[in-house]
Amino acid sequence: MHKLRALWVRLRGLFGSGRNDDDFAAELESHVALHIEDGIRAGLSPEESRRQALICLGGAEQTRQAYRERRTLPWLETLLRDLAYSLRTLGKHRVATAVAILSIGLGIGANATIFSMVSRFVLRPAPVGDPSSLLAVYPGSGVGGFSWPLYKNLRDQAKSFSSVAGYLPMVPASIVGNGEPQRVWGQAVTTNFFDVAQLSMVHGRGFKSGEDHDPVVVVSAGLWQHQFRGDPELVGKTVTISGRAFTVVGIAPAAFHSIDQLFYGQFWVPLGSADQLAPTFAERNDRNASTVWVVGRLRSGETRTHTSAELNALAKRAALSYPETDKDDAFVLEEAGILPPTSRGLLIIFLTAIAIVALLVLAIAGANVANLQFAQAASRQREMAVRLALGATRGRLRRQMLMDSVLLGLGGGVLGVILSVWTTRALSALHLPVAIPIDIGFRVDWHVQLFTFALSVTSGLLLGVAPAWAAARPQLANALKGEDALARPGRRISLRNFLVVAQIAMSVVLLSITGLFLRSLQSAASIDIGFRAQGLLMMSVDPRVHGYTAERTVDFLSLLQERVAALPGVVSAVSTDIAPLSTLGDFDSFHAIGQKSTDKEDSRAALFTVTPGYFETMGIPRIAGRDFGGETATGPKTAIVNRAFVERVFGGANPIGQQVADSHATYSIVGVAGNVKSLSLGEDLQPVLYRSLQQYIAAEPSFMGYTLVVRTSGNPAAMMEPIRRQIHALDPAMAVFNEETMEEHVRAAYFLPHLAATLFGTFGFIGLVLAAVGLYGVMSYAVSRRTREIGIRMAMGAQPGTVERLILRQGLVLTLIAVVLGWPAAWMLSRLASSFLYGIQPHDVITFSMVPPFLISVALVACWIPARRAASIDPMRALRTE
Amino acid sequence: MGEKSDVWQGTLALMALRTLESMGPLHGYGLARRIEQISGDRLQLNYGTLYPALLKLEQEGFIRSRWGLSDNNRRAKYYELTKAGLRQVKKAAAEWEQTTAILARFLTPAEEA
Repeated sequence: MHKLRALWVRLRGLFGSGRNDDDFAAELESHVALHIEDGIRAGLSPEESRRQALICLGGAEQTRQAYRERRTLPWLETLLRDLAYSLRTLGKHRVATAVAILSIGLGIGANATIFSMVSRFVLRPAPVGDPSSLLAVYPGSGVGGFSWPLYKNLRDQAKSFSSVAGYLPMVPASIVGNGEPQRVWGQAVTTNFFDVAQLSMVHGRGFKSGEDHDPVVVVSAGLWQHQFRGDPELVGKTVTISGRAFTVVGIAPAAFHSIDQLFYGQFWVPLGSADQLAPTFAERNDRNASTVWVVGRLRSGETRTHTSAELNALAKRAALSYPETDKDDAFVLEEAGILPPTSRGLLIIFLTAIAIVALLVLAIAGANVANLQFAQAASRQREMAVRLALGATRGRLRRQMLMDSVLLGLGGGVLGVILSVWTTRALSALHLPVAIPIDIGFRVDWHVQLFTFALSVTSGLLLGVAPAWAAARPQLANALKGEDALARPGRRISLRNFLVVAQIAMSVVLLSITGLFLRSLQSAASIDIGFRAQGLLMMSVDPRVHGYTAERTVDFLSLLQERVAALPGVVSAVSTDIAPLSTLGDFDSFHAIGQKSTDKEDSRAALFTVTPGYFETMGIPRIAGRDFGGETATGPKTAIVNRAFVERVFGGANPIGQQVADSHATYSIVGVAGNVKSLSLGEDLQPVLYRSLQQYIAAEPSFMGYTLVVRTSGNPAAMMEPIRRQIHALDPAMAVFNEETMEEHVRAAYFLPHLAATLFGTFGFIGLVLAAVGLYGVMSYAVSRRTREIGIRMAMGAQPGTVERLILRQGLVLTLIAVVLGWPAAWMLSRLASSFLYGIQPHDVITFSMVPPFLISVALVACWIPARRAASIDPMRALRTE
Repeated sequence: MGEKSDVWQGTLALMALRTLESMGPLHGYGLARRIEQISGDRLQLNYGTLYPALLKLEQEGFIRSRWGLSDNNRRAKYYELTKAGLRQVKKAAAEWEQTTAILARFLTPAEEA
């Protein structure tokens, strides 16, 4: 407290307020006078008395110095003086300062953006109370949920947890508020969910323990604001969700959408009332249905290792009792809100790859600025020499130079934060090709700002160290004479050349990676998706969340198809459970019945349910057999498979009339269709089995609703409104969602290659420009330093062409060394990118053979300008000026 | 005891505070002389070191200063204790007593053991 007060007084002293030196001089004077008087009174002569007084004081000047140092904060004072001086110097060289700040700003902006992603997707804890003691429990595979009975075992037996909650992570519903009915997603949770998560409601309350089957709901703050216009009386009112009346009991905090932080949940209902919303969740006690996700609150004082051991023991007991269904002998424990291990791996690879690239950009920018600083140091060598000669310490000069570069770093940091605020906003707004609402928003939070600040200071220091060291050691005699004082005699490889080689080598790496992603985008564009997207329109409805039975849903869909097909401009209309390239979908394992040759492994195939005419409408060729038609829920099960399925399961033999089986049923194959990309563009050829929608709607209702696919003869977007009117004519309360043309849908599927190509393309371009500027700077500097030499050469009869070649050769040698160093590094690093490339190898021949010549030609251009200048040197002028 | 002792680090402030407490307001020179006298002239006080110490105490708010006139009508700066200073004297004195008492136990020859 008193120390702080003293610090404050001293800080004020720094800015001139408070006591000054004169005051102390007066005090000392009065001290000496008093002492002399005393001496005289004791009988000393005035001179002797004065001598004694000064001896006792112990040196007036030292005393004054000690007093001054105590009065203010001397180190801060010199620091501020350096700062003012640096600001003046930087202000004087406006262009160089601007280039430096821009370079560092671009580099830091790239890093800040990447770190914003890391902060959001890897570091951010779940938006719950005390996130560190809330653990998510996953089955042995590392992702997914448990069956209800297994959840109950966990809840009752795991003593390491003080409480355990379960939830169904995704529940579709339609909600009526103001305006048209909306499709929303939420979660169904055990009644203790909000207590375990320690979430307190904005209004109202969470669920009570007796409410498991009651029609009560907690809505998100977003839904409250938008769908119910922030109605302050909403708690206690009844709202219609999927055609049922639910009473709102609470409004969740605005930051909370789900524990996993990706799923954008808008409402929460008790687990027991979930089956009122969607028929998908009916069977609770089936040990086969692993639908319940589990979180547990760690008992205080309990360790993760002990909990893990307890859970594993529990898993083994369950596996012993139910060997058929419970196969895990260990569970995976993870801090809640952290991505599950399986998805985290890929994300971390992606972020690592892109972080390496961003750091490369920063390193190139840093090398550039270091070079600029060198040039500055060269032009300031006389000043430095004079200051040294006047007695400044080298340390002081170094500190001054470092202050310059740290200021540049900080300036770049500020610019970088501004840039990254802008890029994070742009990236957050990207549309993901997923039919489920996902929150991928990320922004520059305080983690990022701290990171950026540290990065700015570090890079400022790093890029300043070498120039500062060199600048503070000029050859004094040379410098004062006005000659080059930084060039050490007998040293051929200067630090500047080293920096530029490093810079070009790094841009070789950067350009190679950029090239790979551009090639990947190019090859993605030529991927055969297997259907004709042009002229197709899609629109989804989910009658089952409006209380429709299976039969009524089929009736609704066929009536709708009929009416839509009758609209002018419509060629045909069909329904499917989910459009291809939607990232999500069903899978099952199949084997052929009665075929000896292929009873090795079951083949995994994607499952789609479709109505007759689907293949013609989508433009997927039907190759053999017939289309669906006349299937009934109870009749024999039929299927149409694609070519890849035929290859995989039947080894290419004619499958028509053959039978295949999955874990539930046996199908006889009636037709074969062409291959399509089923889930994503990047996938390999995938076996697909199509089932009849009429036959399967009751047994396995689609989670994603049903998508009407319409082929139009004109512009498909123009048909949206008429079709929507048809839907509402059949049921005004029906929520319509995922309305888009198939071309838009396919474009969204290009999300990843586009994102990667855009990011890396931008980085690569920045890196290339920076490296070219760096090379140009070094060559210009070399030319200006060799002006006299070149003048002499030309006076001796050298032709301008020879001089030009001399300079070009010097630049080319640097570039070649850099390419030789950078190329193998790029070759090795490209493996990192392999999981994100479409249709090309990480060691793509075209990329790796194109980058060196391209870079060399850019380098030639960068060297050509100074070379021209060298060639145009007038020998007479050159010799006279120096 | 022929040799005079130097002032130990950190003790000067306490001596100054204690002197101000018992003597009331004093100017720097008077304070220095009092400290020497109280020590029975056994302390070698470099008067110059007193002023930064006083400045520090003032910055910390334990003493305050104002210009005044000395007995023989000379302008001098007078220092006096603040309330916080008074508390600080009590606290620091108690701490020193404890420290010296502990040290004394080490330095006196063991009697029982």
